[in-house]
Amino acid sequence: MMIFIFIIFSILLSTSIILSKNSLVNYLALGLFSIALISLTTYSYIHINQFDSIYYKFDALGVLLTTVLSLLSIMSFYHSYLYLKRKANNPKQKAQYYAALILFISAMISAYFAENLALLWVSIEATSLFVSLLIFHSRTKDAMEATWKYLFISSVGLAIAFIGILFLSIVANENGLSNLSFTNLLNAAPFMNVLWVKVAFVLIFTGLSVKISIFPLYAVAIDAKTIAATPVNALMSTALVNVGFIGLYRIYLIIARTSTLLWAQHILMLVGVLSIFIATIQLTRVRRLKRLLAFSSMEHMGLAIIGLSLGRIGIYAAILHLILHSLAKAGLFFQLGAIRNYFTTIWIKNTGSYFKINPLGAMAFLLGIITILAIPPSGLFVSEFLIFKALFINHNYIIAILILILLSVIIYIIIKRATHLLYADVSEELLSKEVKQNPYESISQFILFVLVIYLGINPPVFFTDLINAASSILN
Amino acid sequence: MTYLFILLYAITLIYFALSERVKKFVWLLSIQGFMLFGIVFFSLNKIDLFDFIFILTETILIKSIIVPWFLNKVRKHNKLKRIQETSVPVFFSIIVVVISLIFSFLLSNSLNSDNIHTKYFNVAFASILFGIYFIIIHKNIFSHLVGYLIIENGIFLFSLAVGSVMPMMVNLAILLDVLMGVLVLGVFINRIGDAFESTKIDKLSKLKD
Amino acid sequence: MISLLLILISSLFFVGIIVKVKAKIAARKMPSILQPVYDVIRLFKKGAVYSQTTSVIFKIAPLAYFSSVALAVLFIPIGSNEGLLSFEGDFVFFAYLLGIGKFMTIISAMDTGSGFEGMGANREALYSMLIEPAFFILVGSLALFTNNVSFHDLFLHLKLDTNLYYIIGIASVYVLIYIAMVENSRMPIDDPKTHLELTMVHEVMILDNSGFDLGLIHIASWLKFSIYGALISNFIISNSWAFYWQILAFGGTQLVFSAIVGILEAFRARNKMGKNPQWIIMLSAISIVVFLTALIITKKIILN
Repeated sequence: MMIFIFIIFSILLSTSIILSKNSLVNYLALGLFSIALISLTTYSYIHINQFDSIYYKFDALGVLLTTVLSLLSIMSFYHSYLYLKRKANNPKQKAQYYAALILFISAMISAYFAENLALLWVSIEATSLFVSLLIFHSRTKDAMEATWKYLFISSVGLAIAFIGILFLSIVANENGLSNLSFTNLLNAAPFMNVLWVKVAFVLIFTGLSVKISIFPLYAVAIDAKTIAATPVNALMSTALVNVGFIGLYRIYLIIARTSTLLWAQHILMLVGVLSIFIATIQLTRVRRLKRLLAFSSMEHMGLAIIGLSLGRIGIYAAILHLILHSLAKAGLFFQLGAIRNYFTTIWIKNTGSYFKINPLGAMAFLLGIITILAIPPSGLFVSEFLIFKALFINHNYIIAILILILLSVIIYIIIKRATHLLYADVSEELLSKEVKQNPYESISQFILFVLVIYLGINPPVFFTDLINAASSILN
Repeated sequence: MTYLFILLYAITLIYFALSERVKKFVWLLSIQGFMLFGIVFFSLNKIDLFDFIFILTETILIKSIIVPWFLNKVRKHNKLKRIQETSVPVFFSIIVVVISLIFSFLLSNSLNSDNIHTKYFNVAFASILFGIYFIIIHKNIFSHLVGYLIIENGIFLFSLAVGSVMPMMVNLAILLDVLMGVLVLGVFINRIGDAFESTKIDKLSKLKD
Repeated sequence: MISLLLILISSLFFVGIIVKVKAKIAARKMPSILQPVYDVIRLFKKGAVYSQTTSVIFKIAPLAYFSSVALAVLFIPIGSNEGLLSFEGDFVFFAYLLGIGKFMTIISAMDTGSGFEGMGANREALYSMLIEPAFFILVGSLALFTNNVSFHDLFLHLKLDTNLYYIIGIASVYVLIYIAMVENSRMPIDDPKTHLELTMVHEVMILDNSGFDLGLIHIASWLKFSIYGALISNFIISNSWAFYWQILAFGGTQLVFSAIVGILEAFRARNKMGKNPQWIIMLSAISIVVFLTALIITKKIILN
């Protein structure tokens, strides 16, 4: 019942924000929502592996991802406040932004804990709708284009995923199930007709690829992330991608109990390698910072998908990679909000000498780049190392070498652009005038990056236990 | 009698490939709604009364009346040209739609499962294939919305084919999808039409590298 | 024998009824129903003029065309009366007889060396090619579910009494009406009212014919109309009726068919010339749906 109460509470909060349009009400609602988030997270951790009404279950991966989401949303609230203050929006636009943000976060939580396949689909559809409202916030022509593409292809992709769900319901019907709850599907998995399961897997995977931003439907997500405001982008590139991943994970668990596991692993490996390859090629042409980070997300998700296909170690590594990537990417996007404030354009070639302008922020950005590129002591190094170890154990030498080469190219490109931003000379007219420095802005990123390093090198026991629990459902 | 409406639905798909006028697209969508109602009505012995009333509302009220009315409003608001050219000649599209119909009939012939009612499955599959093809060949976002609705009609038929595993919830999900899709996307097309002065997608390509 | 007589008699009135219906709808003064017959008799009394550039083909083509159509008439049954000739697979022979006639007309049009007639020949060839699958698939699917391959046996065993057969019946009639329009180059392929050289199909091929030849060509086009009308009436006439009812139904169908053609011509606009091929291929697509229906009925495709 807790999640239902949470969702109703968030609907009430967002309606009150929309109706009142008062900034005090906004901040009050955000504060209440943060408290609700924290309490839900602790509640879910305490009641782990229990059912919460018949439609939700607090399983290990859901708890992990919700913790990450809570941490990132609280930081995102602060950065949204800064963003909206700089943009000087009128109260109505601010109210719409905050209301959409609250609904977006609660839809994602509903998707993390969903136990029923149909409910998962509805939650993902809802996140699609609310994130489009957020992408559209700046109302420029580019925003319209990005929102239209994202909304349309997301709808088509989810329609395709729905066909996959209908196929799964065929096999559920054959085995006498009457609803699409995951526990029931898992129990009936070994007896399912192989052909339907394969078709369902391919269709659902294609539909979810919009959300995870991997091949084949990655382009609209990348475009959307090029446009969205940075606090929203921090949530989009991390939590929304995790929603897609958790959907894939649940279907993969069902597949793992049938005889099509090997075939599904081949497909996941293929898609992962293709995603990294395409990300590398596209990165050579990128000239905007947000787009750079968006393609970097695509590459990391490709790695996570490869990890998912590799058995026990791989899944552990994939989940660890997912969590650490979320923290690091969100930090980078928060810093990007500050960077965007100082320059007049979005093109990388028109930026530069950030170290001179904002030393603290530049330090944070540099730390973030080191973290996201999996350079030690970053925690991402640990997870990527585990993925490569799993690749070598499974004798996938050629794939491992290919990915290493591609990752090296990506590291080169990102460092080249980042050093241009940090150190290159820039002419005076490209800088924004009269910008106050806000030292508190960089605090959140330092917290996040230090957390990434800490979780990689010396993770606390409850953290590793949770990931082990999430990855051990596969036998 | 169900077969009659299924084949009439297949003929509307052929007319979709043939026509180039935007008004005719909307009109054909309305007719497809009636065909869907006919299909459902004549399989009545498998569905109970309350579900039947719900499906009646969904097909006739929403797919045949409300959605076409809304689409006409969007069309008039954007002052769409009467004829929307496709990037593939219509001659070829008709051949493609016929091939997809034959392929789906043959596919449903070779499936012998007790759980799929293949008489709905074949037009559902052909409809989904043709909807995706329709989106690919048209270069106007209004036509993309029409293609999305064709896919949704195909999914509706597909849910009929799959049988009665919670028909209520499945129909509710599809209904929500259609309504939300059409309303939100339609309102969006209006805004895009206002901002860009046209609804062609080559104006919507500024975000590429 | 009866069917031959009935078709010949109905062909005399066919075009007259079309013109009368069009005139009535347009509120014009109506010519007499037998006006086309009077025109042809006038043409028979005249001599023919042959151009210097033509060869023997131009002289024999109208005769070949007329004789092919006249031979094709002999195959058509009406209800339980079979045509004069009937054998297994005769509908293929029928289609290719008409094809020979068209071929002779096409090469005679090209023989004149005129650019316009060549253009018309071009279009006639294309549209006949596109309409051919429609006819074959349609009659083929009818043959499939009656399990007979000659026109007579096919229509003898055609039972249209359950729902699924209705769609075959209605779609076949619809397609046959339009095949008749395409074969004779009427609406919506070509508008016989407006003889613009750039948009004529059949009329332009016979620009240089005169006198007796032109009369033969006109009679052949009437015969083609009533052939298709007879084919359509076969769908409506059931073999269990008495003989006189069958003749009456035949006459009624021809009347309604010519009235429908007249109404179509009066109200419908001509297609844009470039859109004709896609419109004609749409007829083939509908006949493929009829074919799939036949497969469903005869259980060659199992659908549960």
